[in-house]
Amino acid sequence: MNIGFIGLGIMGRPMALNLLAAGHQLRVWARRAVSMQPLLDAGASAAGGPADAAADAELVISMVADAPDVEQVWLGEGGVADAGRTGLVGVDMSTIRPAAARDIAGRLRGVGIDFLDAPVSGGEVGAVAGTLSIMVGGSEAAFATAQPAFACMGKNIVHVGDSGAGQVAKAANQIVTGVGVLTVAEALNFAAKSGVDPARVREALLGGFAYSKILENHGQRMLDRNFKPGFKSWMHQKDMNIVMQSAHELGLCLPAAAATAQMYNAMVGSGLGEEDSIAILKLLEQLSGGDH
Amino acid sequence: MSVGFVGLGAMGRPMTLHLLRAGHRLAVWSRRPASVEPLRAAGAEICATAAAVARQSTVTFTMLTADADLEQVVLGPDGLLAGWAAGSILVDMGTMSPTLTRRLAQRLAQAGVDMLDAPVSGGEQGAIDATLAIMVGGRESVLERVRPLLARLGKTIVHIGDHGAGQVAKACNQMIMVGAIQAVAEALHLSSAAGVDPRRVRQALSGGSAGSRVLDLMGRRMVDRDFTAGVEARLHHKDFHIVSDDAHRLAVPLPVSAPVAQQLNALVAKGWGNCDTSALLCVLESAMGAK
Repeated sequence: MNIGFIGLGIMGRPMALNLLAAGHQLRVWARRAVSMQPLLDAGASAAGGPADAAADAELVISMVADAPDVEQVWLGEGGVADAGRTGLVGVDMSTIRPAAARDIAGRLRGVGIDFLDAPVSGGEVGAVAGTLSIMVGGSEAAFATAQPAFACMGKNIVHVGDSGAGQVAKAANQIVTGVGVLTVAEALNFAAKSGVDPARVREALLGGFAYSKILENHGQRMLDRNFKPGFKSWMHQKDMNIVMQSAHELGLCLPAAAATAQMYNAMVGSGLGEEDSIAILKLLEQLSGGDH
Repeated sequence: MSVGFVGLGAMGRPMTLHLLRAGHRLAVWSRRPASVEPLRAAGAEICATAAAVARQSTVTFTMLTADADLEQVVLGPDGLLAGWAAGSILVDMGTMSPTLTRRLAQRLAQAGVDMLDAPVSGGEQGAIDATLAIMVGGRESVLERVRPLLARLGKTIVHIGDHGAGQVAKACNQMIMVGAIQAVAEALHLSSAAGVDPRRVRQALSGGSAGSRVLDLMGRRMVDRDFTAGVEARLHHKDFHIVSDDAHRLAVPLPVSAPVAQQLNALVAKGWGNCDTSALLCVLESAMGAK
């Protein structure tokens, strides 16, 4: 399939490489030209901008940072919409507000583009391994068109519902993982400050009802004090803000997510934004009497 | 001085009456024609558009609900900006986001219009009694020109800093006040659950270190179970969205305000947005009925 791919960062690059490896033809674009090189080396062609990436594509995929970037790529000057490709299927795999995704889908429908929101979970590791979870919102027909591309990038691919439904699922995912990382960090910090080996506590807990992938994977990285991203804290801060905005709009009470969002605010404020979200452990240590 | 006023709700109406009583020529406009009638009777000139108010006013006051309203009234079609001459002054007394305030101030400066953000605390009663606390952002020289007008509306007038600084102070005011309402609600809820008369608890606490205006006023409403507004909770709900947004933008943790915002979300979802914020007690009680 001819695919236009826009956004080649920590997630976009390995996802695009997996599409190439599966035999798809890729025309790629990234704001920073240097980000395109690994893809060109692997056989992709370089586009001059989003509209150019869409020129001959059956499918266009974007993977960028936030709603204004998505809007720019699809509807801005030189955006995909400018390619005038009525009938095109578009997929945005970034994490943005559900309301923004619905709005962008509606405006793209107006120019004949059938748009899916398809945010992912699984981090850089999942992107490289092609084992991402992909949560999709939009039409059945567009989902069917994009499915072969999704299959190259992810394992657990769920068509959740109409436009925005994928982003709602992703926001729910960020509540569970955001609060989860914080509780695992709290538990391991609690063990350590109590004079008990947190590694053995983790091992013991893995066999019981506190088992989770986060306890297993993030917990291990906390013990290893490996704070290399992974998933950067500032991105989780952004995602928690999406959750809190939605809670405000809908009149939802989310006490744990709200408290967690404050901890991510503190991480970014204290300069931990570029570290992995597990660096929340450092913040807890700081709040619990000092450095490790 | 010729004065204009846009926004004639529970707060704006008594404020305009004070300005009229002080002998100023007053031009007003409201989206809802019914709101202007009491002002007409009191001698104000009723205008057909916001722009018409601006054309006749050296100083224009706005007292609107939310960012979108202010933006529309200032920049929208037939808005204030279409009517102002260079040298006019906008005094915005509503509670808006510091971000919008700074953007508007910059936009108005291009047209030679000065802006002050001057949000207030004290509620409807404070507006009626002209005892509002007024927190001002913008140029000090502009504040000095309008100070005699503000002195008709409030008792405490503090220049906080540059554009948006008044709104930052107001956000702080809301955090402390609604945080205290939540604390009082929780304390009285705990008293009731323990089988102790919350009325007496409140009375005892008023004399001690926990004494506060919130305990006096909102605590009384809670024990009297009189949740008719004072300040409608939906407005605090709106303000906490500003607080939460700023906390995110500035990367500042607010461990108490964040859960308070969640209780306000729950209150609005219950359909109690038009009640007084002391109805936060009812949110706690409703959780007891979850079974």
